[in-house]
Formats: sequence, C-alpha cells, structure tokens
Amino acid sequence: MDKFSWRNVIKMSEVFKIGIVSGKGGVGKTSITASLGYLAKIDPDIKGVILLDCDVDAPNLALLFKPKGDILVKDLYTCFKAQFLEEKCVHCKKCIDEKYCEFNALKWNDENQVPIIDYLSCEGCGACAYLCPEKAFSIETVKSGAIKSYTTINDIPLIYGETILGATTSGKTVSDCKNFAEKINETVSAQLAIIDGPPGIGCPVIATISGLDYILAIVEPTPSALHDVIRVIGVANQFQIPFGIIVNKADLESEFQDKFKQYILETKYDIIGRIPFDFSVAQSISNAQPVVEYAPNSKASTAIKEIYENIKKKIINA
Amino acid sequence: MNTKIIAVTGGKGGTGKTLIAVNFAVMFKNLNKKVLLIDCDVDNPNTYLLLGGKLENPKEVPFFLPEFNNDKCTKCGLCSKNCIAHAILQVKDQYPIPMLTLCSGCKLCYKICPDNAIEPSSKVIGWTYETRIRNLDLWVGELKVGEARSAAIIEKLIENMERELEINPNKYDIIILDTAPGAHCDVEKSLSKADYVICVTEPTPFGALDLRRIMELINLLGKTTKTIINRSSLLGNKEVFMENLNEDGISILGDIPLDKDIVNSYAKGVPIMDNDAKFDINGKGYLAFLENFKNLRQWINFHGET
Repeated sequence: MDKFSWRNVIKMSEVFKIGIVSGKGGVGKTSITASLGYLAKIDPDIKGVILLDCDVDAPNLALLFKPKGDILVKDLYTCFKAQFLEEKCVHCKKCIDEKYCEFNALKWNDENQVPIIDYLSCEGCGACAYLCPEKAFSIETVKSGAIKSYTTINDIPLIYGETILGATTSGKTVSDCKNFAEKINETVSAQLAIIDGPPGIGCPVIATISGLDYILAIVEPTPSALHDVIRVIGVANQFQIPFGIIVNKADLESEFQDKFKQYILETKYDIIGRIPFDFSVAQSISNAQPVVEYAPNSKASTAIKEIYENIKKKIINA
Repeated sequence: MNTKIIAVTGGKGGTGKTLIAVNFAVMFKNLNKKVLLIDCDVDNPNTYLLLGGKLENPKEVPFFLPEFNNDKCTKCGLCSKNCIAHAILQVKDQYPIPMLTLCSGCKLCYKICPDNAIEPSSKVIGWTYETRIRNLDLWVGELKVGEARSAAIIEKLIENMERELEINPNKYDIIILDTAPGAHCDVEKSLSKADYVICVTEPTPFGALDLRRIMELINLLGKTTKTIINRSSLLGNKEVFMENLNEDGISILGDIPLDKDIVNSYAKGVPIMDNDAKFDINGKGYLAFLENFKNLRQWINFHGET
C-alpha cells in the first residue's frame, strides 16, 4: 500500500478539523481527544496537530497535557450587560409597565421607585437602553471569558476557552476560541485540528461543530448515552457534516447490550472503533496523561490506536 | 409544610446527576411524600429513560420569530442598526434579512419598527412534557434538535413550577430539579429557584476542576450546597479526594462506590431504590444511597424548620 502523503491529501492552507461530541457528558470525549492528539503528534505522516477544547464550561483537556512554557491568556470582552443610570431616571416605571425586557431581568424596587437589573438574567440585548425615554440605561461591555493557550511538553499547541460564570455567552466563547486557533495556526501550520466539544446539543455544540470536516460521536452502550448521541447526530446531519461512531466502554456488562448492538446495526452507522472498559483510562486521567502515553499497551490504548488508523483513512478519502 | 426545592448539578457531565436525582425522588416517594421531578437538562433529558417511562402530553415551547413584511418596510435600517445580536443583516437600500440562529428574542426590532413592518411570529424550539411514572410526577423539557435556545425551555419549566406552587402550594412536598452539565445559563436558571443544591462529582482531576467551577456559580447565586462523590471507589483515592474538598470548604453529603446493581438499574430503566425494583438491599450501591438519603433528610430538615 502506498504510504500516503499529506501534501496530496490536504491543501496546504487547509486544516482538517475533527470535532468530538457525544450529547451526553462523561462518556470519554476528553480522554479520546487527548489520545488522538498524542498519536497524531508522534505520527511522522502528520505535519502538525493542534488541539482545541471547546467545552468552555468545563475545559478539562489541559489537565492531560503539561505546559512546556507560559500559558498565554487573552481576555474576552464579547458580552454585553445593561447598566442603570440612576441620576437620569424619572421613576416613570415604563420599563416595567411596557415590559422592555423579554428576559425578566428588570424588576421594580418599590421603596426607591427604581428598576433593578438582574445581572445574571440580563442578555445585554439593549432593548431597555433604546426604549427608555430618559436614556436611563446604558449597555456596557463586560469580560465574558478568556482564551488560554500554551505549547504542551510534547510540543502540541493547545487552546482552550473558559467562560466567566454568569456571562451567558458559552456559544460566543466557543466561536472566539475557534477564531483564535485559526490565528495561532498561521504560525504553527498544523494540518490537523482535533476539537474536544461540549456536552449537549444546544448553542455551544452548534458553535463547535459549524465548519468542521468530520465529527466523531462517542457513545456508551447505555440507554441514555444512545438517546443523547442520536440527538447530537441529528445536529451533525443538519450541518451535513460526515460523522463516525466510537463505542466507549463497549464491553460493559448490561442487559441493554443486545438492544444497543441491534440499534447500531440497523442504523448502519459508521463504527470507527470500540474501546473496552479499562481502569487504565481513569488512572491516566489521575496521572495527567493521555492513556496512549500512560499505558501504551493497555486494552484501551490498543483500541484507540486502531481508531486512530481508521480516522487517518477517513482523512485520506475526504 | 413548604415545598422544598432541591437541584442536582455538578459541572462535569456523566458524573451521575440524573441517577441521583431520580433515586432521591424515588426514595421520597417511598416515604409517601408528594414528589415532582423536573428534568432541566433539556439538551439531553434522561430522567424518563432511567425511570423506564415514556414522554407524554407534549406542549410546544414557542420562541419569538420576527417576520418581516417587505410591503410595509421602508428600508430605514433602524432594526438592523439596533440589533446587538447582529441577527438582522441589511445591505444599504436593501430589505433586512433575519439571521434567526443569532436572534436572542429581545423583540426590540418589532417594538421599534416605525412602519410596523415586523410581526411577532413564533417558531417551536422544543417541548415540555408532564407525565407520571412510578407514582412520580415528572416534567421534562426537550430542546428540538438543531435549535440553540435551550434556556428558553428551562425558563418555561421554572415558570410552570412557580405557577403550580402559587396555585397549589400543598401539592408537592419535594421538588427535585435535574440540571444539565456545565456552568452556563441553562444551569444557572435551573439553580436559581432551588433551596438546596446537590453537586455530584467523581474522584478524578476532571471532576475536581469542574466541581470548583460550579461551586463559583453556586456561591454567586448564594445557594447552600453539599457534594456527593459518585464512583468513589474508582481509583482508591477516596480519602485524599474528600480531604482536598474539605480543605476547600466544600461540604460533603456522602459517596457512592462503583456498583454492579447501579449499572444494571441504569441499563434496565428501573431505579435501584424503587420499592418494586428487587435489587440486593445489602448491595454496596443500595446501602450508599440509603446513607446519602439519610444525610440529605437531616440536612434539609435542619435548614428548613425555623
């Protein structure tokens, strides 16, 4: 078989972007992202890999890669919040009576006859600022999160977003994180980006998977994990992004196994691989290493290496 | 007696939030308490799967959809200029084009259009269900696949809950809210009305980091909280893990070790603590649940009775 060359496969300017999602949380997205990233890094066929953690509420990928040098922090100010300007208020109460705020962030303080802004509920839409005849509200930019990046001890550029609690902008932080990665990649020119996605199917997941070349959907043989992965596959289909399935903890002893196997068979999903339950995965997390580095000959690592080879084939045929 | 509202959260996904919310609900029911379980993980509602039931009585959740009437539109640009979400695209001298995925639903465009060219229409972004499984009232929110505004569905659930409490203050002794993973606005809205917050974590660095992030949110909301360590026997580090939590001032409700019966109950859709479930009542998981429940009752009585 011909040894494939990345030059023939991917335009030099293009990064092949793989996203890892699951719908349900805690089924192994981060562990698998870390291991695939590590394998891509040590693979001489691959001209550079870059890792992104878009689970901005719970960015855990960085726990598996020690930094080589400093962590670069870029604060994000992409969130708006309303501010009340008391000196301008004439206590007309129109903001409440005419329901300026659709998010119930404006409440009336009877004692002082002024509105109070519920900071957490405020979406920063600007309706109050525009509608108040006295201009007694302004819209301010507030810090919404940060993008952190560093080079790992094994020389992988790693970028992750982190929201500020209460900023209500997880989706935006994901987009900022992806844009930042593009910029970093102008200097590192990796040809493969692996993105650890958030759980769920809503705003942050949609922001994560838009523009991806391929999606890996992780599932476990349990009713809830299956239910949730079907939903996230629905989102992938709406974006018309090709996807493959990884079954994690595939050998879990349970009465649901038969039903699960039957379902997967009937859907004709593209199974990229099956990873057996293996304590070394949890141990590798505790040891702050990808499992393929921590226990390269473990059952889980063997399975993940096979998965990696399958994904490589996908990329060639893309 | 006032209804006690308990939210179950934890930051990290897959730590066992739903497992614990469902089994606590079942245990209160076993004591003949009137229980309502609300599934606020609207991206991926799993409570009904763990209870082995079906979703019934769907009610559509509408969301504001601006409808542009080009016959009335004078292309003045006021709507697009004032849309902070950049959800209205307008090229000079052209009609505005709505970018619906970006719309926050603030309705400002509709409120300010001088030509009344924007109609407040709506689209369905998901559903709420009200059903009864195993003598438990269960409310579930479900986001439509492809929609992003999950928080609006949680708001609907919370609104329904508050209305119910107002109309029928004695209908429920206990309300348990199961939240989404993460620490974003969905979780924040689910926690906002809770009297007590239970965090579920696992004894790994992932669990520890995400727990600390959710704690920040809980503190910001000023809620009282205790933590359960699930799969506590996973790595043999339970004592050290708990000690670290203690040092950070994180109060512990209890722990639940790895247990085969729990896995089976999960796969079967029969809660391990249900009276009819017939699991080993001397099993590690079963006993751990009893212990946690005892601690929970102590905790919420202590705080609830003044």
